[in-house]
Amino acid sequence: MNTLQLEHISYLYSAGTPYEMRALDNVSLTIRGGTVTGLIGHTGSGKSTLVQLLNGLNRPTEGRVLMDGVDIWEKPKEIARLRYRVGLVMQYPEYQLFEETVRADIAYGPKNMGLSPEEVEARVLEAAAFAGISPEMLDQSPFDLSGGQKRRAAIAGIMAMRPEVLVLDEPAAGLDPQGRDEILGGIRAYREKSGSTVIIVSHSMEDMARYCDELIVMADAKLFMQGSCEEIFSHPEELAAVGLDVPQITRVAQLLRKRGLALPESIYTVEQAAAALCRLMGGEGE
Amino acid sequence: MSSITLGQYFPGNSLLHRLDPRFKIVLAILYITASFLCKNIWSFAALAISAVVLVLVSRIPVSIVLRGLRPILFIMLFTVVLNIFLTRGETLLVEFWVIRIYLEGILTAVSMVLRITVIIVGTGMFLTYTTTPIALTDGIERLLSPLKVFHLPVHEFAMMMTIALRFIPLLIEETEKIMAAQKARGADFSTGSLLQRAKALIPILVPLFVSAFRRADELAVAMECRCYRGGEGRTRMTVLHATAADWLMLAAVILFGASLVLINRFAPGFTL
Repeated sequence: MNTLQLEHISYLYSAGTPYEMRALDNVSLTIRGGTVTGLIGHTGSGKSTLVQLLNGLNRPTEGRVLMDGVDIWEKPKEIARLRYRVGLVMQYPEYQLFEETVRADIAYGPKNMGLSPEEVEARVLEAAAFAGISPEMLDQSPFDLSGGQKRRAAIAGIMAMRPEVLVLDEPAAGLDPQGRDEILGGIRAYREKSGSTVIIVSHSMEDMARYCDELIVMADAKLFMQGSCEEIFSHPEELAAVGLDVPQITRVAQLLRKRGLALPESIYTVEQAAAALCRLMGGEGE
Repeated sequence: MSSITLGQYFPGNSLLHRLDPRFKIVLAILYITASFLCKNIWSFAALAISAVVLVLVSRIPVSIVLRGLRPILFIMLFTVVLNIFLTRGETLLVEFWVIRIYLEGILTAVSMVLRITVIIVGTGMFLTYTTTPIALTDGIERLLSPLKVFHLPVHEFAMMMTIALRFIPLLIEETEKIMAAQKARGADFSTGSLLQRAKALIPILVPLFVSAFRRADELAVAMECRCYRGGEGRTRMTVLHATAADWLMLAAVILFGASLVLINRFAPGFTL
């Protein structure tokens, strides 16, 4: 369920003008339902274009996007319905807040779905809880919130539609570590409760290693690599060639290996490194 | 990049692209004036040829130029219909029920269409297609600078225009982003009654105004941080220099206008 497939997708911006630009070039990939998939790539590699294809904001120049095996553009008039199933949180979503209260803003999506007022209210409360919006905040103006709170209110606005696939374009960009953990923790909570598929675009390899099951690497408008974190992060040279990095802890483990410590290859979170080091030292403790 | 995508500017490096913007403004005015000097079929032919030459010199694809004419197609059609059916002359061509079409009507219609086309193409080739909006405001500021004697705020006016031009593509981009974000939340801008559609704009307008004020504020701070205090004693990064090409082009357009007058006087042909 909730599986997204891209088949030979190409996307051109400003086709037929001197500013024509190929943002995606023959990309084919499958995002399995229920997974957390990370989308990484250098700036301008086509990540944001790709996520906007998933919920039908952009229509591919060539190729098909399939949701559970059905072409999402089969009935173009019903594309709005797909947008409730594939919820997209755009970059800097705090700039889309507009209502008088946070509550009304989160309710905008569910209201557009034509739900009953009771259902809308229930969903607002549920989404606010996921995103860490306290009940007092719900009655404040969204413009009085802090940057991190605004961001979370905007994400709650998408979660309130209960999308089967939640797509987030750099949800933690420009936030402090605490704000970042709050947001990523909220996304994880939403996924555990709803069983939905989650796709996260990010530049932070550490976050990706911590939260994602699968990674998709984009480079120069093409699919560069796809696989588990282990598979991807065991290719530091290839990643460096397209302007990407492995998590810092993976590099630390690499350097330690070079100095003779028998650490396993597949270390990409601090917890794994700590566990491996503990084993090496013969202890079991923390 | 986005600063130059505004309007019809078509990047290139032709003679017309390289001309001094001050000269280009003057040239465009002269050229339009010249197009009104045409009185007979030969001078109109010369005018048409000159427009073609301009397009060739600018090296802008003909398809792009034609696309630029599309918005005024309706005005041209309207002119043609009005002139053909309403002009009264001496040579009656068709008489049918209440419709009378005279040769003079057709000739006036053709000359009007030609004139409108040449004015659009001419200003396009000298200004909008070959000059960036920023260069254009720079040129206007320099041309108007003598008015500073009368305490007209020429620099401030040009700065306002530059900022406005710079902000238009930004605001368009911003609007597109906000629209996409609200569409992702199920916003519908295209169906429903007029009132519903107007209401559907609120989720776009509120964030757009908020961001416009925020940007204006940030820009003002950034300008003050770099000690901007208006035009007094301010030097420029790109100082405009008139080159031989500029003067030659000016001479060419003046000669062209003069030759049109001569053609009117001495070449026989239908007088329009």
